[in-house]
Amino acid sequence: MTPAPRTSRRTPLPDRVLLTALLWITAAAYLTPLLFMLASSFKTADSVLDPSAGVLPRFSDAAQAIDNYRDVWTDSATDFPTYLRNSLLVAMLSTIGMTVSSAAAAYAFARMRFRGRTALFVLVLATLMIPPTVIIAPQYLLFKQLGWIGTFRPLWVPAWCGGAFSIFLLRQFFLTIPRELDEAAAIDGCSSVGVFWRIILPVARPALVVVALLQFIGSWNDFVGPLVFINQPHMYTVSLGVYMFQSQQGQTPWNLTMAASVIAVVPVLIVFLLAQKAIIDGVATQGLKE
Amino acid sequence: MTLAIVQSGVSRRAALGVMGVGALAWSAWPRRSRELAGVPRGRKVLHYWEKWTGAEGLALQGVIDAFNQSQEKLWVIRVPISDISSKAMVAVGGGDGPDVCGLFSYSVPLYAEAGAAMPLDSFPQEDWCGEAGYLPNVWKLLTHEGRPWAGVNTCYTLGLYVNRTHMREAGLGGTDADVPPRTIGELDAAAEKLTRTDSSGAIARAGFLPNLPLWWPYSWGVLFDGRLYDRATNTAMADDPGNIRAMEWIATFPKRFGREAAGAFAQTFSRSTHSPQDPFISGRASMIVQGPWLANFIRLHNPSLDYAVAPVPLADGLAEPSLPRGLVEADVIIIPSGCKDPEASWEFVRFMQRRTTQEQLALAHCKSSPMAEVSAEFAGAHPSRYVGVFDAIARSPRSDSLPPTRVWPQYADMLGGAFDTVWRGGDPASALRDVQVRAQRLIDQATELRGRRRAGNGKGDA
Amino acid sequence: MSIARRRAIVPWLWVAPWLLGFVLFMLIPSMMSLYYSFTDYSLLEPPVGIGLANFAELWRDPLFWKVIRNTLAYASVSVLVGTVLALLVAVLLESHVKGRGAGGVARAIIFLPTLVPLVAAALAWAFMYNPEAGLFNRVLGVMGLPRINWLGDARWAMPSLIIMGFWNIGTAMVVYSAALRDVPRSLYEAADLDGVSRLGRLWHVSIPAISPAILFNVMISIIWSLQVFGAPQIMTEGGPDHSTYVYQLYIYESAFRYGRMGYASAMAWIQLLATLGIAGLTLALSRRLVYYRGAV
Repeated sequence: MTPAPRTSRRTPLPDRVLLTALLWITAAAYLTPLLFMLASSFKTADSVLDPSAGVLPRFSDAAQAIDNYRDVWTDSATDFPTYLRNSLLVAMLSTIGMTVSSAAAAYAFARMRFRGRTALFVLVLATLMIPPTVIIAPQYLLFKQLGWIGTFRPLWVPAWCGGAFSIFLLRQFFLTIPRELDEAAAIDGCSSVGVFWRIILPVARPALVVVALLQFIGSWNDFVGPLVFINQPHMYTVSLGVYMFQSQQGQTPWNLTMAASVIAVVPVLIVFLLAQKAIIDGVATQGLKE
Repeated sequence: MTLAIVQSGVSRRAALGVMGVGALAWSAWPRRSRELAGVPRGRKVLHYWEKWTGAEGLALQGVIDAFNQSQEKLWVIRVPISDISSKAMVAVGGGDGPDVCGLFSYSVPLYAEAGAAMPLDSFPQEDWCGEAGYLPNVWKLLTHEGRPWAGVNTCYTLGLYVNRTHMREAGLGGTDADVPPRTIGELDAAAEKLTRTDSSGAIARAGFLPNLPLWWPYSWGVLFDGRLYDRATNTAMADDPGNIRAMEWIATFPKRFGREAAGAFAQTFSRSTHSPQDPFISGRASMIVQGPWLANFIRLHNPSLDYAVAPVPLADGLAEPSLPRGLVEADVIIIPSGCKDPEASWEFVRFMQRRTTQEQLALAHCKSSPMAEVSAEFAGAHPSRYVGVFDAIARSPRSDSLPPTRVWPQYADMLGGAFDTVWRGGDPASALRDVQVRAQRLIDQATELRGRRRAGNGKGDA
Repeated sequence: MSIARRRAIVPWLWVAPWLLGFVLFMLIPSMMSLYYSFTDYSLLEPPVGIGLANFAELWRDPLFWKVIRNTLAYASVSVLVGTVLALLVAVLLESHVKGRGAGGVARAIIFLPTLVPLVAAALAWAFMYNPEAGLFNRVLGVMGLPRINWLGDARWAMPSLIIMGFWNIGTAMVVYSAALRDVPRSLYEAADLDGVSRLGRLWHVSIPAISPAILFNVMISIIWSLQVFGAPQIMTEGGPDHSTYVYQLYIYESAFRYGRMGYASAMAWIQLLATLGIAGLTLALSRRLVYYRGAV
């Protein structure tokens, strides 16, 4: 792919300044809610609700910041260390499963000829149109039959069956790998498993990482799944834990609720900072359409 | 563009680093969830879901601690659950329920009809008071079609809280300011006198608003002698003349105080009930209809508040001081079908049904006792001066309890919808007639299906 | 087994996990819910067949029509304005001259919200909408404007949720800006030759050129916004006065609060069919508006 032509080459200077300013104002606006969340999490219960107290936390409240996070962490009605562990477990399991099985399906779609391949691929894409929320009540019925209610299985087993977007993204990537590579390997006596394992996967590692990261984040953020399938508090995920934390109190303790929210955001933020460009480019492939 | 991923791919080191940190965090994390940390060896653990948190939750914990210390076989863990009705339904329906579950009394008919709770008369009856031990209005809530399905876990009814300082300032209630309104007419007049608006037309202080808090939109009919349900014929009575008169009275509020202004005022407090910013506790509302527990929160957040509690006023001509009238509701505990050890659960439920246990809990929650007999200590030690008001309503034969039908939650929400309609200026009678038609349809359908389910079961058994 | 047979089977083994998942976690639950939509099913007791009664009751249920109206209002405004907003931001990003670095940071910042856990986002916004100490009313106060009871006023609650949705245009923005970068330069040069203004270039060249990406995104946004659930559940619980009571919320409450799984299943099926219908309609209507490269 050739470097993109920049349409802006001839943009006059005053416009450029204006556009730059506009861009940064937009970016600042999009960052504000997160900063507001962070600032509020450092305040006392009174000052967080006091309109005259100023948006930013006072420097003298520094000790309060630590107290808020400690209060959330050690709160007796909730158990955030356990929630984090649960979220980590579910996210890890579903990430591994999603990556492996999506890669397998994508490999078949990219490299093998078989009857019904096109139709099947269209079916895969069609499931993109079915958002998880619409299927959740019906799924509850199935998991109830299977006896899975109250286990983590509803949250991670489906990921082991791959996902439409991951399959699509990996297939697109596999198609860019020169066929000569696997043909040479095949001549050397590699089976389809061998080609997949020795040729495709190593080359496709960047794409696999993107799929894994997106799945990790998606699973970490999932709210509706835990809300419906998890009942016992010692099995709450972080998202559900934060939700329950705020709704358990008759009145919302905003400073602590915001601190709990920050705890939920931080892992996602770390992942994003590590692989910001890979994630954005991976998401951008949604626009590729044949 | 896919190639761009190659260029930007995450380095192997970063990936390994993330995985390493993950693994480390994983291995260093506490294995045991907090709730199991304190369980002594050899005890059988029972999970008990209950709605209360905060001070109310701690009070319950005190009772549970007493149980855990009273014997050496069982250990009850209190699990605070918000939105407990739906969580319990999902969990019990999915075979993942707790060993003992706290619910609201309105759930009893459904759990009874579905066989999702175990009837209490199927357990050893010794050491349990049975019907004689409870207030008749409470017993009605624990039973369904003649069998007990739930234990009580405190009961409540509503009263009118009055800010005496405001009354005195407005010259109401005579010289001692201790005579709250007794009839709807007096209430209206007082509300008029106590309300303060600011220059922009907003309500600065509400005398009395029926949408504050909007928790019991179905409870007003009873003040006008309306009934919600006829037990004998399984009929909804949403458009009972009393209920219509109540809604007509509700309709006067948006007209008198401004729909916008009154709505905005109530919404200001939607997330602050029972906090220091609570409308009554903070002195922003002079009169409010609330449960007995409000006294507890006043004690906590604004102990100097000078207030009185009285029975909620009745329509003119209905008031009869010796026989107050109100709607009784209860918190209940059930033993879910399919729990792992029903006998053990019963052991705990039975402990909770002791008069002393219920009195201990009611004291801590500032409620009246749900039991027929009240100990002298209870009356003496009660932190709320006005608990007698609630107790009298709960005991009164003129009081009613919630409709014993499984569709009540929807019926109640429909009445809430009618309240909103009337508040917006809709016609009270037609709004309630709509509710009546729809609710009755649900009731009839439920009755019919019940018959079919029974017939089906009969065949299955034979 | 012959080699040809084996060759025919092997690809299916590779797609087997997905196929299994599709059947097990999508097809079977959908069929179960279709079956249950003709029953009364409280979750606590076995279902009983009631024919079309659920559908008949839905027809007469004013709340059903109310949630449809609310959901359509939410979806139409958020898709329309959200798409325009995402496009504008994408154009802004792509017209930004200064090195990729700064543009990259801005892009990352605008994209980041789509990764924030829904619960955290909803709670942060709920607090931003707080009538006393929330950011919005603080700003209004500074500007000397009357405060708004954002989530507490039946007229403002739904707009508040829609505004919050605009925080999540990141995915669309990223897709559009990638598509913009792929527009062949020759198209712009041709436009320049014709003396088209810069705005005209956007309207006549860029937008038609990326219209397939726009169509795809609009479709996805329509489908997803018809399923909105988390934000109203967390922030308003459908209130006040049912003004934010959306379709998916009613399904959830019917199934898991009222114990009417049959009723909820009927609603889910109506939604599935309606969603597919709306998506198909969008596709059909856009046929003439979308420009596919090479298909002149």
